[in-house]
Amino acid sequence: MTRGVVLIANNNESIDYILQACYSVNNIKKYLDLPVTLITDTPDLFKTKYVLYEKLFDNIIEHTPYGDYTVKTYRDGFFDSKPLKFKNSSRASVFDLTPYDETIVLDTDVLIFNNNFLKCFDQMHDLLIYRNTIDVCGGRSDGEFAFISDASVDFYWATCIFFRKTLENEIFFNLVQHIQENWNHYRLLYQITSSVFRNDFAFSIAIHIMNGSTSGDFVKEFPGKLLYSTDRDELVTIYDDGVLILVEKTDNVGKQTPLRTVNTNIHIMNKFSLDRAIKNDN
Amino acid sequence: MTINFTMMAQNSDIDYVRQAIACAMSIRYTNPDSKICLVTNDVVPDKYKLVFNDIVSIPWEDSAHQSTWKIQNRWKSYHACPYESTIVLDTDMLVLSDISHWWDFLQTKDLYFVTKPITYRNELLTSVHYRKAFKNHNLPNIYTGFHYFKKTDTTHTFYKWLEVIMNNWELFHGQYAGGSYFQKFLSMDVSAAIAIKILDWERHVTYNSLSYPTFVHMKTHAQNWKKCFNERWQDYVGVYLTDDLELTIGNHKQSGIFHYTEDDFLTTDVFGKYERLLNNA
Repeated sequence: MTRGVVLIANNNESIDYILQACYSVNNIKKYLDLPVTLITDTPDLFKTKYVLYEKLFDNIIEHTPYGDYTVKTYRDGFFDSKPLKFKNSSRASVFDLTPYDETIVLDTDVLIFNNNFLKCFDQMHDLLIYRNTIDVCGGRSDGEFAFISDASVDFYWATCIFFRKTLENEIFFNLVQHIQENWNHYRLLYQITSSVFRNDFAFSIAIHIMNGSTSGDFVKEFPGKLLYSTDRDELVTIYDDGVLILVEKTDNVGKQTPLRTVNTNIHIMNKFSLDRAIKNDN
Repeated sequence: MTINFTMMAQNSDIDYVRQAIACAMSIRYTNPDSKICLVTNDVVPDKYKLVFNDIVSIPWEDSAHQSTWKIQNRWKSYHACPYESTIVLDTDMLVLSDISHWWDFLQTKDLYFVTKPITYRNELLTSVHYRKAFKNHNLPNIYTGFHYFKKTDTTHTFYKWLEVIMNNWELFHGQYAGGSYFQKFLSMDVSAAIAIKILDWERHVTYNSLSYPTFVHMKTHAQNWKKCFNERWQDYVGVYLTDDLELTIGNHKQSGIFHYTEDDFLTTDVFGKYERLLNNA
């Protein structure tokens, strides 16, 4: 039984997802000691821009994301934002692309600071995904991530996925691909106002369908907790055991306070600040 | 298994008898061996009479003849019902699945009220939007839309109290649910809650550890929606009823008992699908 981590990195004009992946792989090796595969639409960059990093990965797989890219607004703290290409449609293909029997798929902006994910391999459920993650600054959430829209279905985070190569999971990923290919239909059916394809939404809809369109237990929650920092926060420094973030205050929009995490995995939504922190660290 | 159901219907600007017929048809489809009693003084069209086992008149004089929302007679269900034990349903409900295991549990009780209705997403209903008097006055949080009784001396005592409270509702509501949350209309739920509180029977007639019996309560402000502006929940989620009577609300398949609350949910299409399937059975 082979085990490993898959990262997906498709750069756009401003965000260097491949650099994030190259940075993330160090912590994955350190805390999880697992082989890492990178899926990217630009493997050639390892011959030019990332020459020194190619050896970090056990495999580099070329994959062109499905369909046209979309454009979404990337926020950089409270005051700045940019519309950028959003090439996020490779995730539904990961079932076919992964070289492992047991795979943990991680966003490149998930920073690993403990070995909680290893517990995935020691439990019986074939598909794990986060239903609940925790705002690094408690008290700010107003249920934004409870449902994919106000009157729609439960929200699940496609940020981290553990799966085994079972027939049931193959059906599940095929369903995610079907939803992706017919996104406009599904987003209207599930009351999603934005036309931008989002993996969280597609996976949430697929889970809902696999549950027989009712509450069910087709997926189970990951072991341990995952923090998230919103794109209104700013990652300042990455340490060996955690991060320093300027988090937006709960009742003072635009004002920030420093917060340090230790030994806790965290999802950094402000991609610009993640890129800056990585470059500063290098 | 024979489950007994009782409903009371008094038409006003809403055709509650039609609702009761639809509810009875849903019971016939999902719990076919049940007995169903309708308590009404209104005319039931001949072609629908067979859906009920018993159609009985409202006992004594009509206490609701001057009201548009006719609930003044509801305490009489106990006296009118021909069965020794029964589930009492509001007419604006559909029974979507076999609930015989609920009946097994209910028969261990003399009197039982639902306390944990759910949303169409199967979440526990936690909103106090419609329950301010209950919260403010610490009344038992019961819902009479689905309750059960067995004819015993204990139950008789409860319904005598309910009669007194409903016939003198302004006095009792004022004393037990008054102040700023006083409802200026008779409420069956508040009246029953007051009776339970006076008798100190909450622990006997409810069971908070069990998630069933329950029902999906479609009151708009109870759905855990952040944005809702009116009381018509169909403005927020889609309704789809298949030809074989599987009901989906907002992409969520429904089961158990569905309390639709809005009369215009019961379109001729919905009513017709039940009618067609039963006619073909």
